Amino acid sequence: MRICASLNRFAADLTPPPSSFVEEADLHAFVDGLLDPQQRRQVEEHLLTHPEDAALVENWRRQNAALRAVYEPIARETPAPSLRSAAAQVTSQPQGPAIETGATHWGRPGVLPRMRRREDVLAQQRRQAIFASVLAVLAVAAVAALATFIFAGRHESSPSQSVMSVPQGYVSRAGLTYATYISDVHAVEIDASRHDELMSWLKSRVGFAKLPDLSAHGLRLLGGRVAPGVAAPAGFLVYERADGGRVGLYFERATASVSQQNAKVGIGIAAIEWRAADFAFVLIGPLSVDEMQSVAESAAARVNLPAPGQ
Amino acid sequence: MTKSADILDGLSEATPAFRRYARALGAGAGLVVADGVVQAALQGLGARMRAREICPTDREAARVEAYAAITALAARKFIATPGPGPRQPPIVHGLSRLHVDDRAVLLLICLEGFGYETVARIVGASRESVFVRLQRARLAMADWADMTNIPAEMSPTRNSAHLRVVK
Repeated sequence: MRICASLNRFAADLTPPPSSFVEEADLHAFVDGLLDPQQRRQVEEHLLTHPEDAALVENWRRQNAALRAVYEPIARETPAPSLRSAAAQVTSQPQGPAIETGATHWGRPGVLPRMRRREDVLAQQRRQAIFASVLAVLAVAAVAALATFIFAGRHESSPSQSVMSVPQGYVSRAGLTYATYISDVHAVEIDASRHDELMSWLKSRVGFAKLPDLSAHGLRLLGGRVAPGVAAPAGFLVYERADGGRVGLYFERATASVSQQNAKVGIGIAAIEWRAADFAFVLIGPLSVDEMQSVAESAAARVNLPAPGQ
Repeated sequence: MTKSADILDGLSEATPAFRRYARALGAGAGLVVADGVVQAALQGLGARMRAREICPTDREAARVEAYAAITALAARKFIATPGPGPRQPPIVHGLSRLHVDDRAVLLLICLEGFGYETVARIVGASRESVFVRLQRARLAMADWADMTNIPAEMSPTRNSAHLRVVK
């Protein structure tokens, strides 16, 4: 009877029952906090006089409390980012199975393989793009090399330009070697105290084995090392002044037989170049051009090679 | 912020509550399955919003739609899940004995705090049906709320289940 009455109450917006009568629907609404204050007071008065209904209400309240006790902590957990943004995710299979939950659940059937397939497709696309890029670069390089070869062949009639380009390469390499090693803790591979060993090493690797004495110019030989050259390894001797300034003597087997002296000045660094006996020499360091010329002449004399300009 | 972005933010903020509801609705189905239902439901909802199949006017409307999507999906996903383990609280065992429709109504009202009218919209039933389901669920759960132990037939002797032989 009570259920029927309750159904009637919920079925339509009927006129409210007499205030003295409390239905089961009112008890449910009371427990669920859905009554207005007046109805609530009415139910509370009813429960005071109807202990069986009060027990029922109390049981429902305990149900609610037990449910919240078990499940409320879940609402305080931090969901996985993918779950939080699930509604914003564009997926081809919106009704697909679960993916990430924050828990570790590898190998979930039907999920991982699909993800892997998508990743495989993307990886294949990336590989194809990289391959196409490499092909394009190679093609451009081949065209550029062919053009260079053609234009270089046309200018072979003027050998002087080809010869003149070589000395600039020596100075550049000497500058690179100087910049690389001169301020290094290990500026030299073999110091001057191991004179014979240094001589032997340079002779075998570079083909030149003389260590000019430049002490008359205040330059003390620290030692030497082998450096990269073009046709063969180059030699690099390091001298040091009393104030710590270092001068390098770079020498490399020359590919041209033109004897020439060039003085070049960089930012605080001067370089002077000459050739003799199939070797190109570059003296480089923080000296003035005049000082550099003087030192270069001494160096050339010490190795029994004709000095530049003589 | 656009209305659409605001609604998506609202759904994102309500995700913990969605997880709570789905976990309870699963009644021991497990965290992975429950989270899977939430994720699939939210993805489906997002897709329908983008396709203009549904156009929630505000955060609350979107939240109701999300609960509806979870409830509809749970009816299919949780139908064949095993019951809760013996270590689960008695109230979870009571929930698992309910029909999923009754369970949904009970949880939406008691756990999520919705009114009857809103629950009727979420579950796609009339108010009368909602009330009948609520009555039925509370009646079936009456014996479980006071329980402190699981019935013997549902609680096999596994006092040392938390121990693991490692050698």
